[in-house]
Amino acid sequence: METWVVSNIVVAVLVAGAVWSGVYVRRSEMWAQAARELWRRSPVALLVVSLYVGIALVDSVSWIGGDGVGEDTVALHEARSPIDRLFADFREESYSAPLAAVTFSGETPLLHPGTHLFGTDLLGRDILHQVLKGARIALLIGGVTSLLAIPLALFFGVSAGYFGGRTDDAVFFLMSVLSSIPSLLLLIVLVMVMDKSTLSVCIALAVTSWVGFCRISRGETLKLRELEYVQAARALGIGPVRIMYRHILPNLMHLVVITFVLMFSGLVLSEVILSWLGIGVDGSWGRMIDQARDELSRDPIVWWNLSAAGAALFGLLLAVNFVGDAVRDILDPRTLRENL
Amino acid sequence: MRGGRISAAAGILAAVATAACTNNPYPDRDAELPILYVAFREAPKTLDPAKAYTTVATQFNGNIYDRLLEYHFLKRPYTLIPALAAEVPSAVPLPDGRVAYDFELRPDLLFQDDPCFALGGDGRATRQVTAQDVVFQLQRVADPALASPVITAFGNIEGLLGFFERLGALREEDPGLAELPIRDQYARAGPIEGLVVEGDTRLRVILSAPYPQILYWFAMPFSAPVPWEAIDYYDGQEGRPHFADHPVGTGPYKMTYYDKQARVVLEANPNWYGVRHPEWKAPGATYPSEGMPEDAELGRLDPELVGQPLPFIQRIDFRREKESIPRFNKFLQGYYDMSRIIKESFDSVIHEDDLSPAMRAMGVRLETLVEPSVFYIGFNMEDDVVGAGGGARSRKLRQAMSLTIDSAEFVKLFYNGRGVPAQSPLPPGIFGYDPEYRNPYRQVDLERAAALLVEAGYPGGLDPATGKPLSLTFDTMDTSARGALVDQYLVDRWRLIGIDVQVAATNYNQFQEKVRKGAYQIFEWGWIADYPDPENFMFLLWSEMRRSRNEGPNSANFSDPRFDALFVKMKSRDNDAERLRLIREMRALLEEERPWIETFHREDYVLFHGWLRGVKPTGLSFPTVKYRKLDLALRESRRVEWNEPITWPAYGLAAVAVAVVLPGVFTFFRERQ
Repeated sequence: METWVVSNIVVAVLVAGAVWSGVYVRRSEMWAQAARELWRRSPVALLVVSLYVGIALVDSVSWIGGDGVGEDTVALHEARSPIDRLFADFREESYSAPLAAVTFSGETPLLHPGTHLFGTDLLGRDILHQVLKGARIALLIGGVTSLLAIPLALFFGVSAGYFGGRTDDAVFFLMSVLSSIPSLLLLIVLVMVMDKSTLSVCIALAVTSWVGFCRISRGETLKLRELEYVQAARALGIGPVRIMYRHILPNLMHLVVITFVLMFSGLVLSEVILSWLGIGVDGSWGRMIDQARDELSRDPIVWWNLSAAGAALFGLLLAVNFVGDAVRDILDPRTLRENL
Repeated sequence: MRGGRISAAAGILAAVATAACTNNPYPDRDAELPILYVAFREAPKTLDPAKAYTTVATQFNGNIYDRLLEYHFLKRPYTLIPALAAEVPSAVPLPDGRVAYDFELRPDLLFQDDPCFALGGDGRATRQVTAQDVVFQLQRVADPALASPVITAFGNIEGLLGFFERLGALREEDPGLAELPIRDQYARAGPIEGLVVEGDTRLRVILSAPYPQILYWFAMPFSAPVPWEAIDYYDGQEGRPHFADHPVGTGPYKMTYYDKQARVVLEANPNWYGVRHPEWKAPGATYPSEGMPEDAELGRLDPELVGQPLPFIQRIDFRREKESIPRFNKFLQGYYDMSRIIKESFDSVIHEDDLSPAMRAMGVRLETLVEPSVFYIGFNMEDDVVGAGGGARSRKLRQAMSLTIDSAEFVKLFYNGRGVPAQSPLPPGIFGYDPEYRNPYRQVDLERAAALLVEAGYPGGLDPATGKPLSLTFDTMDTSARGALVDQYLVDRWRLIGIDVQVAATNYNQFQEKVRKGAYQIFEWGWIADYPDPENFMFLLWSEMRRSRNEGPNSANFSDPRFDALFVKMKSRDNDAERLRLIREMRALLEEERPWIETFHREDYVLFHGWLRGVKPTGLSFPTVKYRKLDLALRESRRVEWNEPITWPAYGLAAVAVAVVLPGVFTFFRERQ
């Protein structure tokens, strides 16, 4: 199946999932209260995150043909998102400063004077367009990697904590080995070994980032398995898989949510570092910053490319961190007692 | 006691703020000496003249190893002049189509002083250069253990490849052979038939077929005389450096300090023939009296230079500078005498193709030169879609793609306009280059491209087999962000005619693997001439040089019997009217077949300070340091003027420090009372 079809399906699934979880949250007393509390604590950060998510979702929907693809013959046969369509035929010849009316190098008037909010890059492409497209890549990397790393960490952490003994030894050995390798080196090696693509960057990031959460979930499981209701379940002869699923996993869910939000910003930042090293994902903010490297030491300086990408990155990470802090305060039982 | 400490601290502060305030990276005592300061970026892997093939190695080696021939400093097109040889030999035809060149070495040539010559007995410090030393070096080029990159070119010498094979076989049979002194090893492998030594100074070089370009190879360090003593002595054992790090030559300079990661120093060689025999007025040891018309205008033929014995400069101090911005800043401060323009500062240094007023006020001068180079986008001619197998259909596709690339814009965007749009593989300065020639397929013409695509069966770029835009892959090993922009530019151009080119950026190893398998369609590459001959460019498309068959540099795998026939005829001719006709025919063939989209010939911009004379960019990598002259007084005064220390921040900082500390001191004493 073509990538754009998959992308559209994923968007549909995500939207359906969001609606379903919205309904679920409304029904459950505990989650509904948490959601209200979250909104009360950081409404702006939540709105900003939703804005980014919205842009990413809009950019993930695409179709072939239709209006607004521009004059490019190849584009007519490519799936274009609404954002691409908005910026079709919106190029200049080369650099132009934000909202400038003439090119950066001379006095030639621009084709679209005064309309490039963040200016244009060396090839005359609109920076705003690239920044908006970067949101999708950032969220994709954060999301897919978390989706890979968290289940992995849960699987190993819970089984190590619950079974103990040899299993615990084995998992702990694996974790120690992984954390004793410098993670940046491991990342580079993994990306080099696999082909350079978004998915392989996500896999590499997942491999290097699951250990932390694995440790937490193991410790939590060690505690949970000694609790009376787990012992009672065991005494009743219920199998370990069922116990883990019914009694341990639900009690780890708040940790999953907290980890997801906190891990997210770290992952987006890691991708920027990978891009800086030349092995990132095409079209990401990291890639834009990397491209802007030469422009900063240039004389006269071209600052808008870097600033736009940096600001977009900063905005997302700041908002996500605010939301993450709030989520932790609300969901973590320890802080819950202090705050409520 | 305490008071003493405070006054000592104040004294140090005052000393730092006033006396020692300089940014001069060199010792003060060197200011009076005629030292040329040069920056280099990459540490050379080896300085062995049989192997070293990089620009940085030639930067050192070219001054240390004199060759039999060299290039005239000023004349263009490039002209050979005798150096160690007394004359530039001409070809002597022999029976069976063989050709001989008779080199007559100058009498009384000496190697530089070096401890290794003690091996020759009686504790001497040097010895005479003989024709045998040239033969010895050519044997080294043919030594399989050295894996010299230029063995193909010197393989034109009769029997050189036979020597290569015999020596290899002998080494395999008898592992003990490698332990013997190097001359004994070569003696066991027998002589090279095409190198006949007659007396101390006569060398006859016999080629098995005409190859006029061989003379250019005798102007490169690969064929410079090398003493066998140096090879035996500098073996890397017992604290002696390896020969690759300790050159012993005959040139105007000798190496006196070598730390390739940081600094290299060359000093004038008192044994050089130009120093010992100024009365010879040898062309390689005297500043030339004739040049091109522009040389007189630019002061390169001024009376204080012309006819003077070389070298002017007594010491060359090479400093390693890994980063371009500090290197350029030191040039602006006067601590390097010349510099290339760095990309980042281009707009502030150059205004409208000339120096900016600020630069001119500093007395900086600019020399530009189109290098004998060509950069191109190549098609893999063994591919089914873009290659020769597709016949007229693929040819029209290549023509259409060639018509869309705008070289002038490309050069402007990515090289600050430093390049000449290419019409054919031959760059300016090379025989056969025609400034009037316009390749009809190298002009931007999107309508014609679209028409050609219709003829090729891809109307509007659509592939009839899939109903979608024709999809091609562009392989590149440049994974940098800048490389991505270059590729994006090309891809965007091709999109204009409806062709969907996907960039496959891979690392070097993966790219090599792809090239080996022939799994590539479009690629980009460049070539910088080894020597100023059209053969050195046209051979890149000779079928014998195909990468797929012979691992040659013909990465386009272009193979056309018509081209080959013309090439073989062209390569062994002197520059005459017939050769020009053959080149024109080859050009017409390439114009139609389009194995390459020639993009541009790179242009070099060299900046140098007003105190440096005798500078002319060469394009080819041959050293010209011995022609340079320094005006030391001017340099010193400019350095002082440009590096006037700004002291007020130091005083300001000291004042702030005092203001911060004093209340504490007062409090301390008050509390104690």
